[in-house]
Amino acid sequence: MSRLRRNLRILHVLAAMDFKLKYSGSALGYVWSVIKPLSLFTMLYIVFAKLFKLGEISAYYPLALLTGIVLYTFFADATTLAMSSIVSRETLVRKMSFPRLIIPTSTTLAAAITFCVNIVVVGVFVAWNQIPPRLNWILIVPLLLQFYVFTLGVSLILATLFVRFRDIGQIWELATQLILYATPVIYPIGFLPPWGRTIAFLSPITQVLQDIRAIVLYPDLASNRITATDAFGSSAGRLIPIGITLAIFALGLVLFKRQEPWFAERV
Amino acid sequence: MTPPAVEVSGISKTFRLPHEQRTTIKEHFLHPFSRTTYETQRALDDVSFSVEPGEFFGIIGPNGSGKSTLLKILAGIYRADSGTVQIDGLLSPFIELGVGFNMELNARDNVRVNGTLLGLSRQELDERFDDIIAFSELERFVDQKLKNYSSGMLLRLAYSIAIQVDFEILLLDEVLAVGDQSFQEKCFATFTRLREEGKTIVLVTHQLGVVEEFADRALLLQNGELRALGSPAEVIATYHESIAAVPAP
Repeated sequence: MSRLRRNLRILHVLAAMDFKLKYSGSALGYVWSVIKPLSLFTMLYIVFAKLFKLGEISAYYPLALLTGIVLYTFFADATTLAMSSIVSRETLVRKMSFPRLIIPTSTTLAAAITFCVNIVVVGVFVAWNQIPPRLNWILIVPLLLQFYVFTLGVSLILATLFVRFRDIGQIWELATQLILYATPVIYPIGFLPPWGRTIAFLSPITQVLQDIRAIVLYPDLASNRITATDAFGSSAGRLIPIGITLAIFALGLVLFKRQEPWFAERV
Repeated sequence: MTPPAVEVSGISKTFRLPHEQRTTIKEHFLHPFSRTTYETQRALDDVSFSVEPGEFFGIIGPNGSGKSTLLKILAGIYRADSGTVQIDGLLSPFIELGVGFNMELNARDNVRVNGTLLGLSRQELDERFDDIIAFSELERFVDQKLKNYSSGMLLRLAYSIAIQVDFEILLLDEVLAVGDQSFQEKCFATFTRLREEGKTIVLVTHQLGVVEEFADRALLLQNGELRALGSPAEVIATYHESIAAVPAP
């Protein structure tokens, strides 16, 4: 019990340090964590809402886009930083004995702090659009929890592989860009043919994003609120991306635990 | 009879050192038929010893003799290929001072991070913060970033945190090399105090004088093998003989 408490303290202090260091020495500091997704949002908004006229389909397009960008940015940032976390904390790994799991977990938690700041911005947009809150918005909490578990699972796989193969860095940089377009962040899910939706909903990112959109943007068009239940044609279909989340997390945990004893001599 | 604080039996450790470390897929792709060749290095070969509770135990030997590997196995950082390690008592989780120090943060933040890593709770840190800074004599620099510290100042800070940690068995690898005379003497004073408190200390060092003065027993490692184990004077004498026996290149 006291060992668990000690490990939780280490986790807390490392995550706080990660967050602090990310912006240390920069003039605007934490403000950057809001500027980055907002500028990506502004650019994509001009291109897709105005030039490609996606904004004319639904008044809620900007909000749907921002929600997608904030979720995606968290996933991309957390996994990218966690991937190199074991290697970049080399001295710690080589000089101290403690559960290595703390390292990638603290990195993803630091990204989660940034994510929470961004959530506030989304909240401001929701208020701006004058969408009255509903009781079922509470479901966002378990959905975000699922999203974190998925992100952590992917992070553990990447961090383990990165110790052996540095190519994973290049591969993942490409993959995160592809994931942005493979996920209905920019385009409405309804644009995909039914078979395309089925594939898209295998990804927990699509499932969580669409669930949140369906809950928060309930006045939006029905075709923008398609969820896993609709895409798989049954409410049991929802279990598919949730099952994938748990499988990825379990795989990450097993892989990490198996390689953990060798990290100190291989980093 | 009390069980030994540290009991090591038949520890062996071999490292596989690839001649050219291949960490990218391209390298595998460009040379698909050339196997990566390995050189195996036996870092430790069937080493056994035990350390009694309250003992000051010195480990000496030339560079590359396996001292640090042995300490890392004791700390649980490396896993031995064979043999067993049994620890009885609360083990310090670090083998070097100042692990986790971040040069971009000031001393105040680093005391918190390093202290937490070493196992201090928030409350203990609050209580002992002033003691830590007072012992290190760095009051004037407490809000400076560590990158502006000299190596001696870093050591002062690191050592001051480490001695505030509650442990029964302390493992230390080559700690006092860069401290100045007055700080070294301060450290020796804490060695004496730790011994009076009945703590077990395992120290890896090249400073034979420290071993001779403080250690109850010493161990000499050479090429991963245990060459001598016994009173510091005897072990150091064996070490000197072995150096003299090697003809100068």
